Amino acid sequence: MSSRNQIDEKLERLVGQVLREQPLQRAPNSLEARVLGELAARARLPWWRRGIATWPASVRIPVIAGCAVCVPLVWILSLWLAGHMVTVAAGPLASLRDAARAATSFGTLTAHIIQSVPREWLVGGLIATATLYAALFALIAVGYSLLYPRAQYSKAYLT
Amino acid sequence: MRAYQDMVFSTAVRLTANPAQAEDISQEVFLRAYESFENLRTSPKVGGWLKTVATNLTLNHLTRHRKRWRLFSEIFSEDSREDELESAAAVFDTVLTELETDERSALVEQALKRLPDHQRLPLVLYHYEEMPYQDIADRLGVSLAKVKTDILRGRVAMAGLLAQSGVGAPSDRPRLPPNTRGAQS
Repeated sequence: MSSRNQIDEKLERLVGQVLREQPLQRAPNSLEARVLGELAARARLPWWRRGIATWPASVRIPVIAGCAVCVPLVWILSLWLAGHMVTVAAGPLASLRDAARAATSFGTLTAHIIQSVPREWLVGGLIATATLYAALFALIAVGYSLLYPRAQYSKAYLT
Repeated sequence: MRAYQDMVFSTAVRLTANPAQAEDISQEVFLRAYESFENLRTSPKVGGWLKTVATNLTLNHLTRHRKRWRLFSEIFSEDSREDELESAAAVFDTVLTELETDERSALVEQALKRLPDHQRLPLVLYHYEEMPYQDIADRLGVSLAKVKTDILRGRVAMAGLLAQSGVGAPSDRPRLPPNTRGAQS
């Protein structure tokens, strides 16, 4: 075993021993009062504002059964409505199709314009964008390395 | 509740290093315990349950605020030198052999509190919660290598903070890693 590993293990053992021997920290006196106060506040809430698990069984069971019926009902109703709307909204749907065609034409036009731009310009633009992002990232990294210790300092003394 | 409140609060405050946040988290732990009161009342594992919930709630709370520093702490992590490790071991040896329990307790808690989050979290999870390295890495969403490095550097930084508090001879003081220097003066 190398000397480095032996020192690592010794340090781990010592730190473990120091930390294990630390007594528990006393909880603030206000903690118990806060918990009891919150429990009392929750107990004062009417049943419908609490979780469904705490609702009276006479309400909970019909609600669950109602939900179980509602899911397939909504599904069937949606299918029926969709079928009905396709028939009724044939006119507006045609307009939508026209709009989609117009959008496709616009896309084709845009593609033509991009193709007409010299390839060097496009590549140059991409390189410039990538360079700017890299510079921004480097700036943030330098800023972080300079400012982070200061943030730790402030935090340690504020808390 | 009185039997467990110090344990729950200690778990939260060692991870957050913030008594106000730890009190909020402890309150939430006991409210959840109350919701599971019927199951917990007769369970012999109630202490373990409370500790696990306290750890998980604290980590969830910290993870929300942790993403922005994680990337950069990965970039700026560096390895400890052998002489730093030797000095750190000497400081902890002194803490164990020469300090009275009360003084040691206060100094160690203070040093732990002043460690940066990315070192304190894995250090506390490893030594107090006895979580394996891989579990810590999975829980914090970082690499195994980073967890090991952060724990090692956390031990060295903690020794540095203890030395700054007057533990050990001045010549024994280890060189502190750069990311904890700001907390010393």
